[in-house]
Amino acid sequence: MTRFAMVMDTRRCVGCDSCTIACKIQNDLPLQIFFNPVVTDGPHGIYPQLHMNHIPLMCMHCAESPCVHVCPTGASKQDDDGIIWVDPVSCIGCGACIAACPYDMRHKDKGSGVCMKCDFCKDRVRKRQEPHCVWTCHQRARIFGDLDDPNSEVSRLVASLRTERLLADLGTDPQVYYIVGTGGQG
Amino acid sequence: MKQHHVWTWPIAGYLFLGGLGAGMSIVCAVADLFFGKGELLGLAPLGALLCLCLGSGLLIFELGRPLQFWRVFSTQRAVLTFGAWMVILLVVFDALYFSFFSGWFPWSAAAGARAVVAVIALLLGLGVLLYTGIELSSMKARVLWNTPALPVLFALSGILTGVAGDYLVCGLWPYGGPAADAEALAGILRPLMAGLAVATVVSLLLYVLMMYTSSNPTGRTAATRWLRGSYALPFWLGAVAAGLVLPLLLLILGGMAAALGALLFIVGGVFLRFLTVYSDDRRELAGERERLLKLPHGDEPFLKSNWG
Repeated sequence: MTRFAMVMDTRRCVGCDSCTIACKIQNDLPLQIFFNPVVTDGPHGIYPQLHMNHIPLMCMHCAESPCVHVCPTGASKQDDDGIIWVDPVSCIGCGACIAACPYDMRHKDKGSGVCMKCDFCKDRVRKRQEPHCVWTCHQRARIFGDLDDPNSEVSRLVASLRTERLLADLGTDPQVYYIVGTGGQG
Repeated sequence: MKQHHVWTWPIAGYLFLGGLGAGMSIVCAVADLFFGKGELLGLAPLGALLCLCLGSGLLIFELGRPLQFWRVFSTQRAVLTFGAWMVILLVVFDALYFSFFSGWFPWSAAAGARAVVAVIALLLGLGVLLYTGIELSSMKARVLWNTPALPVLFALSGILTGVAGDYLVCGLWPYGGPAADAEALAGILRPLMAGLAVATVVSLLLYVLMMYTSSNPTGRTAATRWLRGSYALPFWLGAVAAGLVLPLLLLILGGMAAALGALLFIVGGVFLRFLTVYSDDRRELAGERERLLKLPHGDEPFLKSNWG
């Protein structure tokens, strides 16, 4: 089996927003919609002892995905490899998945009326290419791969480093792992 | 800068009208099946039907693709699908139920068939009543919604508004019997409304205080907004004072004052649904608020003129 996941190495992320822009251009997103914004936690501390982290957000492609479960039309789909995507033909724009997403990573497009979200660039990754956000990250802060393959980089990172998942206590089993630390350690 | 609300007034209206329609159907069916007083509430199924139709219209209006609404009836297991089926079936059975009271149809006098329809309307009404709260409470990260207290509160409020709605139509057309019977039933509905209003106000206050004392900062922020923030006026004045306490006092006076009280209970139900739907606070991630503050604002007219 394949289980796609992403590791965010926050020690390497410099908050340049390249991934955000690459995604926006690749997916031709409306002006107000971002699939993967980068937020900044901090700075914390007192000068000169300061630290902060840039945290790239995106759809967590949860294994127990609340957005898929609440969809009344079956437009929100999860494939066997874990990728969650929206079928725009079936979507009625009810907003249930937007309300259900704990990460605010689903958006209603005012033009078409349907819900839009990150699909891990599924057409690319199934051709063994990287998602655009990973491909464009010059700091290698985003690592994508198959978590079920013990030799993949994501598997090795998740197994060997302390990683965190956002709002993991909600029980959604998010598939984006964050290596947390201060810059320059990676 | 606040994030946009997931749902707005049409969904609040839908949840309110769903609860009202379900409550009216339930109370009418119970009065008919267990107390033989259905004739007095003959207009209730029609009123419930109109509420449910209007509520469904509001739901469709809120959709991004309204003309595709029929897809919600596809074979899925989502709460919303369940609710949509319950609502549409209740509309059908309320129409059938009303047909018995109207006296216009050959089957209008069939007591056995009416009882069967009443039982089905009762069960469907319970389904709709519970569904409106469960739909919101299933949203995991929405702190004020994701609690079992919400379906209880919505169910109590739905039944209260249902009794109030039935009180207002008690003895009206198509009922043509003695007015004393209508007054006798109204005399039963008044204390029932009072009891439900007490239960609703206690549940509502416990619900808000539970959030206010919660360990979750998002829940505390949302509850503070209700208790003494920007939603304090609609909460204290609309939902509690005008929607529950004042009508409770008016019930004691009886007559037209009690009818006004029943109307105010219904208005209180509107306030409760609006407050709840607009309190869709989500658990915040570190840095999210700062990002929202950084987003440009003030350029909306320019952006709209150039990129729609």
